Amino acid sequence: MNAGPALEVRGLSIKFGDFTAVDDVSFSVKRGEIFGFLGANGAGKTTTIRMLCGLLLPTSGSATVGGLDFSDGGKGIKGKVGYMSQKFTLYNDLTVGENLDFAAGLRKLSPAYALRRRRELFDLIAFDSPLSTMVSSLPGGVKQELSLAAAMLHDPEIVFLDEPTAGVSPASRARFWALIRKVTELGKTVIVTTHYMDEAEQCGRIALMRTGKLIALGSPAELKGAAFPGPMVELDFNGPAPAAALGGLGKAAGLLELSPHGMRWHAAFRDRPAMEAALAALPPGASRAVIEPSLEDVFIRLVEGAER
Amino acid sequence: MTGFDLHRAAAVARKEVMHILRDPFTLALVLGLPVVLVVFFGFAIDFDVKNLALGVYDRDNTRHSRQLVSVFESSGYFLPGAVDSPAAAARGLDSGRYSAALLVEPGFGRGLGGGGRARVQFIVDGTDNSKAQAVLGYLPGLTGAALRKFGAAIPADPVPLKTRFMYNPELNSRWFVIPGLAVIIIGLLSILMTALTVAREWENGSMELLLSTPLRPAEIIAGKIAPYVGLILAGVFFVNLVARFGFGVPFRGSHLLFLGGTVLFALASLSQGIVISVVTRQQQLAMQLSMISGLLPSLLLSGFIFPVESMPIFFRYFTMILSPRWFMEIARGVTIRGAGADDLALPLAALAALCALLLAAAFKKFKTDLEP
Amino acid sequence: MKRTLLAFIRKEFAQALRDPRMKLILFVMPMIQMTVFGLALSSEIKNIKLASVYAPSDAAARRLAQRFTASGWFLPVAAEGRAPEDLVVSGAADAALVFPAGGFARQAARGRGGVQLLVDGTSVTRARSVEAYARAIFAAHAAAEAGLPVSAAPFGFDVRIIYNPEMESPVFMVPGVMGMIVCLVTIILTSMSLTRERELGTFETIVSAPLENYEILLGKTLPYIVLGLANAALVIAAGFFIFGVPVRGDLWRLFSAALAFVITTVSVGTLISTVSKNQQQAMLGGFIFLFPAVLMSGIMYPVENMPALLKPVVYANPLYYFTTLLRNILLKGGDHAVFVFNMSALAAMAVAAGAAAYGRFRQTLN
Repeated sequence: MNAGPALEVRGLSIKFGDFTAVDDVSFSVKRGEIFGFLGANGAGKTTTIRMLCGLLLPTSGSATVGGLDFSDGGKGIKGKVGYMSQKFTLYNDLTVGENLDFAAGLRKLSPAYALRRRRELFDLIAFDSPLSTMVSSLPGGVKQELSLAAAMLHDPEIVFLDEPTAGVSPASRARFWALIRKVTELGKTVIVTTHYMDEAEQCGRIALMRTGKLIALGSPAELKGAAFPGPMVELDFNGPAPAAALGGLGKAAGLLELSPHGMRWHAAFRDRPAMEAALAALPPGASRAVIEPSLEDVFIRLVEGAER
Repeated sequence: MTGFDLHRAAAVARKEVMHILRDPFTLALVLGLPVVLVVFFGFAIDFDVKNLALGVYDRDNTRHSRQLVSVFESSGYFLPGAVDSPAAAARGLDSGRYSAALLVEPGFGRGLGGGGRARVQFIVDGTDNSKAQAVLGYLPGLTGAALRKFGAAIPADPVPLKTRFMYNPELNSRWFVIPGLAVIIIGLLSILMTALTVAREWENGSMELLLSTPLRPAEIIAGKIAPYVGLILAGVFFVNLVARFGFGVPFRGSHLLFLGGTVLFALASLSQGIVISVVTRQQQLAMQLSMISGLLPSLLLSGFIFPVESMPIFFRYFTMILSPRWFMEIARGVTIRGAGADDLALPLAALAALCALLLAAAFKKFKTDLEP
Repeated sequence: MKRTLLAFIRKEFAQALRDPRMKLILFVMPMIQMTVFGLALSSEIKNIKLASVYAPSDAAARRLAQRFTASGWFLPVAAEGRAPEDLVVSGAADAALVFPAGGFARQAARGRGGVQLLVDGTSVTRARSVEAYARAIFAAHAAAEAGLPVSAAPFGFDVRIIYNPEMESPVFMVPGVMGMIVCLVTIILTSMSLTRERELGTFETIVSAPLENYEILLGKTLPYIVLGLANAALVIAAGFFIFGVPVRGDLWRLFSAALAFVITTVSVGTLISTVSKNQQQAMLGGFIFLFPAVLMSGIMYPVENMPALLKPVVYANPLYYFTTLLRNILLKGGDHAVFVFNMSALAAMAVAAGAAAYGRFRQTLN
């Protein structure tokens, strides 16, 4: 086992004709980390992951995945990683057993080894239905977990999960993320893409992507701290916000950010004194509460900050 | 081929078998449809045109003219009916009531004996090529029969020509049609089967997952073709049973040779489907392409009904890329003539070459790039 | 309501035409196939490989054998000492002419000048043609040798082929091929496009539209009907301009025939899509319809000969009626009785197929 980072990416870019899908991305991932990619659709998350799996070759830049690079066209990397794609998990017209047998055959695992791994993984995901169960009859959450098992059958060091909880119930999502944590406890590195903010909160570190560029990198706490050095207040006007109050707030000194969240408003300030001064100017009917910024707030700030 | 792994290809083949077994409808169709179609068309197709309505205008009305008409009638090919005038005959031809018309002018009988030339008009409806051609083919025989009936001084055959039809003395047209049918149907079904299989994996996203493993395109191609060869052999076997025991089509050649030719043909047709699948990456398009490029060329250009030798030179060369054309020769040669391997060396070599070409094309055209 | 329907139809049309491959299938492919089939296909038997077996010193035999080659029907094949049966078995020769030993002329004088003609019986039409050609050549030869002009035979037929006097193969074949192509294109387009929509789930978006069921069906199928008609027009024009296939009948008859036919095939395609669960089944369904339809259209072999038991299938084949109509209108000028009969049949099929398609379509929407 290498002692270095699981993943090291330097200036990775890929262009499709004129279109730059991933633009000069650099980061590194430690072993055993849960590393998340957050961003809207089309931000370049899936494309980045595909490159790191060896499915696409970058136009420029370099990366080492599990100590291997792209010099052999990605062949070595493919052998070392597991991949769960966004669009497809398991063959619906095959049984669980047949799907796993196929995965084992592709990785050329010996029958004994495949059997052992299958037992271990079924334990991990707590799957106890018979092998002859048709995949089409399984609920979505179970399919995702089995797909993860199939991706890990050959005991890879690094696992890439592309939107693994898309279209799955919240309860199953929570279950899946518990699984991800268990996997990292086993020493694996998990790299996952998501557009759910609450899932991103559970990552060790997050890379925020927008139009192919990496616009922020750090743990959730670091990102929040960097975006919002001062306190944040949630305001509730008990109805539509009076224009005068908003206007006044908008011009308040030391205001970093003012954005609507549903019927309420979030206002972030540079420091406490600035906040108190601005709040004093508000009409008495508005309720106010100091809150912790969420990743959603961070995202809005960074995205709109880039636009400004 | 660098890095071709049999185990991985075998894994793909096993998975493909599972997919096939889980689709009983398609399976039954692939095994049963050839038999059904061969039975149906084995009975349906008959190149002899019989009972053609013939409009007869006999103004001569002598013994000889009546003998002439009776020759037409007794041939079994024509059903004569009287018309009042040439104009009526023309109307009958226009409306399709008659397929041909026989117009005997007065003086026919006299002209016969007088050493002069007695001629009758024979008008054929030229809109239906198969009928017209056949009718024209009957004329020499009818001429001879009429001459014999007249008892003419000059014999119909100044030099006796003894014709022997080899391998098929009764001129049973089924023996020609049924092997041809089998070739066409099986060839088409093969293309249709494999045309979808790769495109399906692209479309449902599983190809991406396959490519994220060490699996190579060559292994995918090999693994996907292999199970279908077995299916085809089974289909051919059933069709052969029906042909032999149902229709009495002979099988005079070597079974081994036929098997070899079948395997080569199967590989060529399946590869053709795979090329379509690899290139289109989309099921709908794959199907449209395979139907359009498969159905009509196969039916019309393979020598099934329209002879390859009758085509202009350019097209005779063009048909060399059609695998049914070669297997047609092999199938008919082995079953009816009892031809041997050295006789069929050219078709066999051509099939093998087509196989290699198509497999290479499938391999080269297999793009592993994913869209952004 | 009318306006929504029109908007719907316009959208379907735009979608259908946007795909460049659709245009390929509709226009490029048919042209290529028309050209290829029109030029290549002929049921006339020629280029027959003939081996003539006679002693090198037999001049009379050689003269006769040369007549065969000179006729243009036969291609000479060298015997090279192989037995004539061998030559035919191996496929080196399609027929063999075996002259009597001891000199042809001498044997003929003795009344024993029988020449044997071995013919490969695999293809019956070819075998018959070979025999017919051989007889004709023999007769001409006998007349020539006896010093008589060929036409001095006691009687013969003045043959006239109407509607296609030059016996040009394309004029024979092209009307039939036209029908095949239109049939193929419309069935494939319709059955597969609709199935694809069902598979992708885009059908759901239609159900929410404020349209009646029949309007939805109309909107879905009308583009293909129009496209099918365009395809038919293109194919007929190509036949006229490239192959000189005449258009002797009225254009309105042609149009009605094409319309009825296209409506029928589009309905059949729609039916196939409603019973298919996926693309593969749609394709097999298309094949199951197309293969018999093309074979039993009267182009490949005369369908009047079919056993009575199987004939009903021909009468249920829209391509049979369309081909008959095409041939009649293009080549014969459109006889009224023929037109009425075949159009009625075709129209009845269009209605029946349309109704069946509508019934199944309605079911799938609910």
